Amino acid sequence: MTHSLNEIEALCKRAGRGSGLPWGLAEEAAKGARWLSAFGLPGAEKLADLLELNDRIPAIDVSPVSLSAEIWHAPVRRMSPLIAGAALSDCAKRLRERGSITMENVLFPLLTVPFMGGAALRLGTPVAVQWQDARLATDGHQLCLTASEGALNAKQSDRLVFTTPAEMTGRKEPVLRASVSESDWSRLSTFAHRTFAPATEESRLKGAGAGTTDND
Amino acid sequence: MTIRREPSLVMRLRRLGSLHQSRLSFMRILTRRMAREGWIFERRAFEIDNDGVGHAVYTAHGPERSYSLVAFAHDLPPDQRSDRVIAEAWDCTFTLHDGVPGDDDVDRLSKNIPYQEAGRVTGKELSVSRANRSVRLWEHVVSSLASGKQPDAEQIDAVGYLMRTTAVYGSGKLGAADREMIADRPEFASPFQAEMLSVFLTRWFVTELVQHMADVRARQAGGEAARLSLDLARSMGIGNSTGLGMAPFLLNHPVLFNNWIMAREKALEVVRSVDRASASEVALFLDLVGRGSSTIETWQSEHPIQIEKLASLREDVETVTRHLEDVDLSKPGAWNALHQWSEANLGEEGQEWIASLMIEPYGHLVDDFADEMAADNTATFRISGAMTIAELRSILEDVYSWALNTDWARPENRARAWYVSEEKLEPRLGERFEEPIEDYEQPLAPGRDAAQLHKAISHWPDEAQVADFLLRHPEHRHTVRRTQIAKRAPYAEIRDNTISDQVLPIDMLRCKLSFFGATKFDPRSDRWVRICMYGNAPLPFELTTENADFWVFPSTKEAVA
Repeated sequence: MTHSLNEIEALCKRAGRGSGLPWGLAEEAAKGARWLSAFGLPGAEKLADLLELNDRIPAIDVSPVSLSAEIWHAPVRRMSPLIAGAALSDCAKRLRERGSITMENVLFPLLTVPFMGGAALRLGTPVAVQWQDARLATDGHQLCLTASEGALNAKQSDRLVFTTPAEMTGRKEPVLRASVSESDWSRLSTFAHRTFAPATEESRLKGAGAGTTDND
Repeated sequence: MTIRREPSLVMRLRRLGSLHQSRLSFMRILTRRMAREGWIFERRAFEIDNDGVGHAVYTAHGPERSYSLVAFAHDLPPDQRSDRVIAEAWDCTFTLHDGVPGDDDVDRLSKNIPYQEAGRVTGKELSVSRANRSVRLWEHVVSSLASGKQPDAEQIDAVGYLMRTTAVYGSGKLGAADREMIADRPEFASPFQAEMLSVFLTRWFVTELVQHMADVRARQAGGEAARLSLDLARSMGIGNSTGLGMAPFLLNHPVLFNNWIMAREKALEVVRSVDRASASEVALFLDLVGRGSSTIETWQSEHPIQIEKLASLREDVETVTRHLEDVDLSKPGAWNALHQWSEANLGEEGQEWIASLMIEPYGHLVDDFADEMAADNTATFRISGAMTIAELRSILEDVYSWALNTDWARPENRARAWYVSEEKLEPRLGERFEEPIEDYEQPLAPGRDAAQLHKAISHWPDEAQVADFLLRHPEHRHTVRRTQIAKRAPYAEIRDNTISDQVLPIDMLRCKLSFFGATKFDPRSDRWVRICMYGNAPLPFELTTENADFWVFPSTKEAVA
């Protein structure tokens, strides 16, 4: 069974929120999972892994200490790829000025890749990243990728180096359909469920505003 | 000097809740296109038994592609008939299939579509929807026809439709194709065209289903049913019953919402800038004012809010009619003068009614704005982290000035909270201080959140950058994004309190539905509304370029009859 990208994004946004992320970061997590899914990469799966690991952890503990530092690192030595990635996208202009941004001890590095797309679109030049044997580059629309399965699925990377401008070789077009395994779907649903208010008889009657007969 | 209306005037809930359909409404964009391109419509299957159970397939053939409504008819016990999203059975269920379905597709869909949210579709489906009968009109039409008579036009007018849809899901819902999969097709350049096509075909199916049921009843009594007159069939639209679920849409799609409002505001601006109207433009306008008035005369509602608004609108219609007897619309600058007169002399319902009517004679100037109403959010999603705090503050003070002047400590200003229920993920609005819902609140109060952001940056230096602020305050990321969007898209944000004890969610519903092209808004409560779609429109097989545009205005002859 395949999923629409909108379904993946909607579930991931709720899941992110359910894990304690502020709405704005939950939105980034969802857009990122959608972006990776569109390229056939395991975005939803890695997001589920991350949410389980960082469940309800305060954002500040897993954020870069400073965006001006030579190397971005988090106080607890396991940086959130969502927060670091969002900051990378926010800092697109700084990335161009510096030429590269290096991060240390980043969880699930694959989840930072969609944010390069955001930065590349803002700059109008491709952005690349390297960790282990993985090298990925994107202009925001297409993706170039050489990496082992192990690197793509890595739980943590000691060192991530983002650079711009970058070469685009061996382009991959996004496909507009994706599939998420039942178990990953269910893991994300568990987080998403936390955002739903339990129904009460009162909310059932009044909350949606109906209540009159529909047999008229 | 620009004469485009300011967002601070347009984006108030009272005004958005007074919008009327226009020639930029999605139904009319669709019927114009289909007529212009000579679309052909055919019934490919109608396998419905004597109990009204079975399926039918109606196909629309465009210049390059075909689309098919696959309809399933059910025998629904009255105690299960509910328009709520939490319903689990319906009179009819539908999907719009991309192409012509094979037997295997129909078989697959028959195992999913009747269950709606509990079923799955594929990237070959573009929408999923369902409809319930208007019980009294359905029975009246079936029994009249079965006894060899035409149904009573007055009874038809009092309801306006035989069936009302209670949800039309598109863009990726339940596994359907994402909008991105079809967005590059010219027929889907404007928003909601697949959904509007599905409703257009649904209306045709419903007239054939009611005839079928009348035929069965007549045959069982040993007689022969009358054929439903085409005039009566055409006078009926498809109803829609919509609850709160639709309201957050406008808040969740700020760029798209901006593009809808912007298209209509640009159209109004262009018409107000016309130097001199031609005799035929004036004649068309005056004709449509007359025909539009008759729609307002037959618009019925039992809800106190709408009764009051209708009374005021009907007064405005009289004021307009008298005024138009005295003015010469062929004088230079007459449209702008009429617009200014309406702002000084009419209520919001009347002003928006005239605004929509003024653009009617100017299809050649305004119809291309329809191509700018869709939205690709990719570009606006990213945050510009290099923006200074000074600039962020300045946008906040411009766009959200009303919110910065609101005392958010007062309970009445934040009395409500939007949340999503466990049951079918139904959006609901609750009482923040009376129900345990605050922990589940959705980000649907941009004004309050903007005021909080403004406070949070108050002690940050002007030259600091947004990226550094957000690193420390990720809780404001959502609102920083909205604020940056509002800078680029001036009509993106509703400039009113969406959580006050006074908020009327029906204002948001009406706004959205007016862009669909709906008429005869009939609120059932402050958060639930019924409307009519395609009332008076040509049926698919009689669509021509002559009747594709102004069908929404009943002809004067019909209005008198």
